Amino acid sequence: MTTVLVVDDSKVSRLLSKQYILNRHPDWAIAEAASGEEAIDKLQTVTPDLVLLDLNMPGMGGLAAVEKIQAKCPTAHITLLTANVQDATRDKANALGIGFAEKPITEACIDRIIAVFENE
Amino acid sequence: MQLSLLQGVLKAVRAGIIVFDAEQRIVFWNQWMEQHSQMPAADMQGKSFTDVFPDMVDGRTHVAIRAALENNFASLLSQTLNKAPFPLYANAADVANHVRMQQAVHVMPLEIASLSRHCVVQITDVSMAVSREKKLRELASELESQTLVDGMTGIANRRRFDLHLDDEFRRAKRNTSPLSLIMIDVDYFKDYNDNYGHQHGDQCLVQIAGALSSVLNRSRDLVARYGGEEFTVVLPDTNEDGAMQIAEAMRAEIEGLQIEHAYSGVAKFVTASLGVSTLVPDHMSKTGTLIHAADRALYQAKRSGRNCVVMYSDKKKSE
Amino acid sequence: MFQLSELQHDALVEIFNLGVGRAAAAMSRIVGEEVSMSVPMITFQSRAEVAKALGSAEGRRISAVAQHFEGAFHTEAFLMFPEEKSLEIVRLMVGQSLSLEELSEMEQEAMSEIGNIILNSCMGAFANAAGKELRGSLPTYHAGTGDDILGLSGKEWDGVVLTLKIDFNIERHHIYGYVAFLLDMPALQDLQRYIDDYLARLMG
Repeated sequence: MTTVLVVDDSKVSRLLSKQYILNRHPDWAIAEAASGEEAIDKLQTVTPDLVLLDLNMPGMGGLAAVEKIQAKCPTAHITLLTANVQDATRDKANALGIGFAEKPITEACIDRIIAVFENE
Repeated sequence: MQLSLLQGVLKAVRAGIIVFDAEQRIVFWNQWMEQHSQMPAADMQGKSFTDVFPDMVDGRTHVAIRAALENNFASLLSQTLNKAPFPLYANAADVANHVRMQQAVHVMPLEIASLSRHCVVQITDVSMAVSREKKLRELASELESQTLVDGMTGIANRRRFDLHLDDEFRRAKRNTSPLSLIMIDVDYFKDYNDNYGHQHGDQCLVQIAGALSSVLNRSRDLVARYGGEEFTVVLPDTNEDGAMQIAEAMRAEIEGLQIEHAYSGVAKFVTASLGVSTLVPDHMSKTGTLIHAADRALYQAKRSGRNCVVMYSDKKKSE
Repeated sequence: MFQLSELQHDALVEIFNLGVGRAAAAMSRIVGEEVSMSVPMITFQSRAEVAKALGSAEGRRISAVAQHFEGAFHTEAFLMFPEEKSLEIVRLMVGQSLSLEELSEMEQEAMSEIGNIILNSCMGAFANAAGKELRGSLPTYHAGTGDDILGLSGKEWDGVVLTLKIDFNIERHHIYGYVAFLLDMPALQDLQRYIDDYLARLMG
């Protein structure tokens, strides 16, 4: 069974992501975290196959969390989500070996993320 | 208003006007645009933005046009951030040299009953304003380099000191008179700054500058801020004794300010070390010699325990 | 003072983060450097409270870019920075500046464009979320105290100011500013209704 970890400080965003993922795959398990710190905590009990990570969060931001998550779950597929897509973002994502997707979170956006994950 | 009158107005207006329809096709291209783009209106009618301006696709201008057509938002493209978005030229010579006109662009949505949404792009030639600002920039920079006053303390800056020293050195050479120099360095200033903060540090220097100035009363004497916590004093027509007297008076003035300094390794208040040198310049002498001597004397003052005045001497002092 | 529910608040913050995120991407294309912007906080306050927070009483000067929006709802929108910060921003975006104490005419125009990008992006994000149509005016530049700026609409006015704290990062420079929307009672009610509609559509 596939487990997804959705990390975003916005409750509405988490709700959206969860909803769109479940629309596609009602049988997947969705875990949530409201911050980078909470996400690392969650990894103690959950082993996600796919991680959706908001770039812009207070405290430990999305980027800092990536390396910690990769350390704990090297096989997890990580995707960064941001409204601010620029070359620097692309470069950073590539350097970390992860994908990224542009906000707003729409059904199409989530579909694309899932497609990339499934094609891995 | 009559159509022909309106058309006349748009022809006479001294700004470029392009109107796009909801599909980003050009439906109007005024005479100013024709003149400055070298592209006739007849050729432009019905062409899409992407056809006519392929280099501008997805750039700031294109985004602004889309925002007007889709969201009904107006946009400003400043010349400062978008030098010359459209391929427009002031005159034939500029066309030949590929020098684009400096432009300010406004994009405005047009909502007219019974018509689908359109947008107006207005382009103004701001070359005059740009060259005015360039001139302003040059003047401001020139002014800055000409200043002879240290901004913080209000006394002379290093530039003034260098100029004045040169003048007095030449004069002393001509008159074979003695020229003296004092170099002053505040003791343990870094420790003062680190502990009391930079604002207090600045205030301290301002007070010291004032104290030093109060000792001098001849028009050609000059005290200047030489560096961070360093000051220099030029004393024309002053021999060793005279210079030592003034230096000692300055040392005492600074101590007399009683600026509390709990972190000084030598006193409870702020003090300074002073090095003095005197020279009667001959035709071979250079200002550097005088400065170097005062510097060596200052170094001696520090080594001798600070808060003191030392006169430069050729002979090596035995401790 | 007016308050939104936790979910409404969350939705609005996310909408504005979307807006400033896109604005940051646009600005990074202009300046060729990494630019990031976020909205860490939003509040509803009275005009007097906002002016006070902006240091009006101490005579602190602000640089502001103002735009008027109407249609689905009606608001005066402002992007505001302390005056010396706007000098810093222009310098960073333009690469150099006249280093006078105030922005020159051309620099004011540059600041106006920056305000235009940010305000249009924020309102665009909101309009899209609400599924509503708005009209936006061209930006105008103003400098003065918070009282001067917010009092521009002139009339005696008892509405509310929706203030977004903006965290602006460019080339390792960290600058705080504000986006403010003047909302009268009808506009405030419209705002709430649109957020509710938006949430209903999302959950539906």
